[in-house]
Amino acid sequence: MIRTPLRPLARVLEAREKGENPDKIERENLRERHEQMRDKSRIRAEGRLLVLGLIFLAGFGAIGGRMATISSAEPQEPVASASQAAIIAQRADITDRNGNVLATNLATHALYAQPHHMIDKARVARELVQIFPDLEEEALTRRFSDGRKFLWIKKKISPEQQQMVHDIGDPGLQFGPREMRLYPNGALAAHILGGASFGREGVQSAEVIGTAGVEKAFDDYLRDAANGGQPLRLSIDLTIQAALERVLHGGMVMMNAKGATAVMMEAKTGKIVAMASLPDFDPNERPTPLTEGDASDSPLFNRAVQGVYELGSTFKIFTAAQAMELGLVNANSLVDADAPMKWGKHKIKEFKNKNYGPYLSVTDVMVKSSNVGTANLALQIGKERQRAFLKELGFMSPTSVELVEAPGAKPLTPKHWGDIHTITVSYGHGLSASPLHLASAYATIANGGILVKPTLLADAQPTQAKRVLSQESAADARSMLRQVVTRGTASFGDVEGYAVGGKTGTADKPKERGGGYYDDKVIATFASMFPAHSPEYVLIVTLDEPEDRTGSEPRRTAGWTAVPVAAEIIRRTAPLMGLRPDFETDTPVALIRTSN
Amino acid sequence: MTYLQYNVKSVPTGWRKILYLNWALVLLLSAVAAAGFLMLYSVAGGSFSPWAEPQMKRFAMGMTAMFIVAFIPIWFWRNISTLAYLGSIGLLLAVEFFGVVGMGAQRWIDLGFMRLQPSELMKIALVMMLAAYYDWLDIKKVSRPLFVLIPVLLILIPTALVLKQPDLGTSLLLLMGGAVVMFVAGVHWAYFAAVASLGVGAIVGVFASRGTPWQLLKDYQYRRIDTFLDPSQDPLGAGYHITQSKIALGSGGWSGRGFMQGTQSRLNFLPEKHTDFIFTTLAEEFGFVGASSLLLLYALIIIFCISSAIKNKDRFSSLLIIGIATTFFLFFAVNMSMVMGLAPVVGVPLPLVSYGGSAMLVLLAAFGLVQSAHIHRPR
Repeated sequence: MIRTPLRPLARVLEAREKGENPDKIERENLRERHEQMRDKSRIRAEGRLLVLGLIFLAGFGAIGGRMATISSAEPQEPVASASQAAIIAQRADITDRNGNVLATNLATHALYAQPHHMIDKARVARELVQIFPDLEEEALTRRFSDGRKFLWIKKKISPEQQQMVHDIGDPGLQFGPREMRLYPNGALAAHILGGASFGREGVQSAEVIGTAGVEKAFDDYLRDAANGGQPLRLSIDLTIQAALERVLHGGMVMMNAKGATAVMMEAKTGKIVAMASLPDFDPNERPTPLTEGDASDSPLFNRAVQGVYELGSTFKIFTAAQAMELGLVNANSLVDADAPMKWGKHKIKEFKNKNYGPYLSVTDVMVKSSNVGTANLALQIGKERQRAFLKELGFMSPTSVELVEAPGAKPLTPKHWGDIHTITVSYGHGLSASPLHLASAYATIANGGILVKPTLLADAQPTQAKRVLSQESAADARSMLRQVVTRGTASFGDVEGYAVGGKTGTADKPKERGGGYYDDKVIATFASMFPAHSPEYVLIVTLDEPEDRTGSEPRRTAGWTAVPVAAEIIRRTAPLMGLRPDFETDTPVALIRTSN
Repeated sequence: MTYLQYNVKSVPTGWRKILYLNWALVLLLSAVAAAGFLMLYSVAGGSFSPWAEPQMKRFAMGMTAMFIVAFIPIWFWRNISTLAYLGSIGLLLAVEFFGVVGMGAQRWIDLGFMRLQPSELMKIALVMMLAAYYDWLDIKKVSRPLFVLIPVLLILIPTALVLKQPDLGTSLLLLMGGAVVMFVAGVHWAYFAAVASLGVGAIVGVFASRGTPWQLLKDYQYRRIDTFLDPSQDPLGAGYHITQSKIALGSGGWSGRGFMQGTQSRLNFLPEKHTDFIFTTLAEEFGFVGASSLLLLYALIIIFCISSAIKNKDRFSSLLIIGIATTFFLFFAVNMSMVMGLAPVVGVPLPLVSYGGSAMLVLLAAFGLVQSAHIHRPR
């Protein structure tokens, strides 16, 4: 840039020549230069202002754009806090074999408080108590004021309660969604389903975890999102379960029993169609376990699976079947049945000290339920073979049914298996097992000698097809069981058209503190199958301390107690399961006095 | 004799000044304040107390102050700029020693009739000081290091004092407002580039220092940054404000829920609903239409200021107007961004709308300066 000097000599001299004041030129030039400078700075300032304007514009644009995106967005509740791993609340449903829902989820709400957001703590406490009478006003007020920022008030509230809390209108009261496990059928199949409760809890959701039954046994499966909410299909048939529970409950009351259990099983597959244990409970409101007394008296106790009882004479058929299988006897062979039988210092007696001897056919040993006859058969078999056979039938280990309670129910077997044990076990004493054990073993006889594995899954595939009895031995055993009903101890068990076969068992209850047996407390069991010529189903009914008081003296034997209950169950459920009545031509309807 | 005084002859005098006021600006300011009254009335549940009525009184006081400031010639204000700056620094120091502690921060001086927030005063005083400085400074020397260092110190001293209160929001506003005045005054680009890169370095440093003994920010400030980056991380704690206000904004939708129908604000889900977060109430009740209308009003105020600054040939006036407009812009831009989750929550009120005495008074007085510069501009 070429600067003109403030006092250009040429112009000054020129001005002087003309007699003008040269100072004016200087002032003029100074003014011009100031203006130039100002203009320059103005241009720069305006450029800067433009940049600033653009920045402002960008600011406005960002704010306006953000405003538009938020306004157009659907309002969303904040998602669960990220401080803990996401809690998966969705739990798969449980259905019966026909897809009827046994357990599902219900969306409900938990109520919590954030006292620092509360407007009027005293009023909130007062009104909450009116909605939930179990809360205490003073305690609430105290907890609201002790400085905490968060507290649970109720874990599950109904929609009506939620509305009432909402109407209090305090911002310090908040709801968190909860998936609640719902058992729409109430107490039906309670012991199978077990129950569920909340595990880890967050504000927005809580884990539902199984606490018992299949809910716990299949907890991982039910919670696994990878299964896509596919329901767990059980082998239970809700209709049969309901009928069975209804009849069993009636029977328990009529027979004055303190407990009862029944298992209905498909003979060929081992699938459990219905299984009940009374007294029962509502899994929606699962009671707390007993802290004292006998756990087996708790409604939570699953007698069918957890209860191990001496199942008495129902065991005799295994002895008979094995003896025939080994070729030691056939159905008509005569067996020494002279009672009482002496074995060392022990005396084997019949029920009410009767004597059916001196000889009985094997069939009649079963029909009359002779202890002595069975004992002699067992002695022929020998302890090793008897033990091996019972082991194969599953009596030496817990059942493998898919309940979390099952592995804990190990049968009680004699510690030193001597000859006397061979004798007592042969007629069902000295070995305790669960009704479900018995059902599986009877299913083997019913299906022609194939072992079954008890299962609760509708889609279970039989893993083993191991034969432990020949078709013939099994058929002979079934024929004996049929005759027990037609002319033996289980005559009340006959259901017209369904050819029930079965074996009674009445075992004295052992005293809790050892020292022998009660003489007025029994476990009465009827193990049955129907129709006997080609059984489809096995039904075990066990009553705990039954007592039929309709006669002149209390009758406790299974023939009087468990058998009529089982017969009523079959009468009610067999048509429901699609069995058509098949009337035998020659049906003896004789009432034979029942005995053990 | 400055350039300005050459032209005093053509400047209106006496009551004639009323005719030369920028009346459009007065109208716009009143409209924004009226929106504020409406919202304060609404958040109080349809009542003038406790917020709307005092706010209206303060607005009347502020307007009076604005007129008084406007009628006093701009060269008077330029002459007392240094005094105002020093006085504000003195008040900031006074707060440091005699201040009232409110909300965990020492920001107030109790004057008896009102509580004065010197940091509010400082924003204007700083702009005045810088404008006067650049008016005084020969334009050729603007970019010389020594003459850059002086305004930088002028900015940093009050910034440091405000930061110590602690009030991160206001100190950032001071910093940015001062920088904008320097930028418009024509300081060389290179300085701003250097500061920007230093700023990036500082941010890195701030994060690097976290958890070490020389930690640069307080823990709650780090939490706010964390929450800003991911509000859903802690929806019930530090992220609560922002989450709830976004819910409110979203629930307003296009046309809003209607006057006094906002649930988020009326049911007390929103914190500070009458002060820093009042914009959410407006957005919830009047929706996008209402919120963008307010934004438009603000934009018009800024446009009027900038056009007034361009027309004004006096350097002090021009820089002063730009500085005040920038401060105003930063106020509402930071507030709205914060409410909408574009910026961390730093506690900056929405100008003229949020409930608050000294902010309103100071802002209107500042617009009085703008008016004074407009009336007394060289013609």
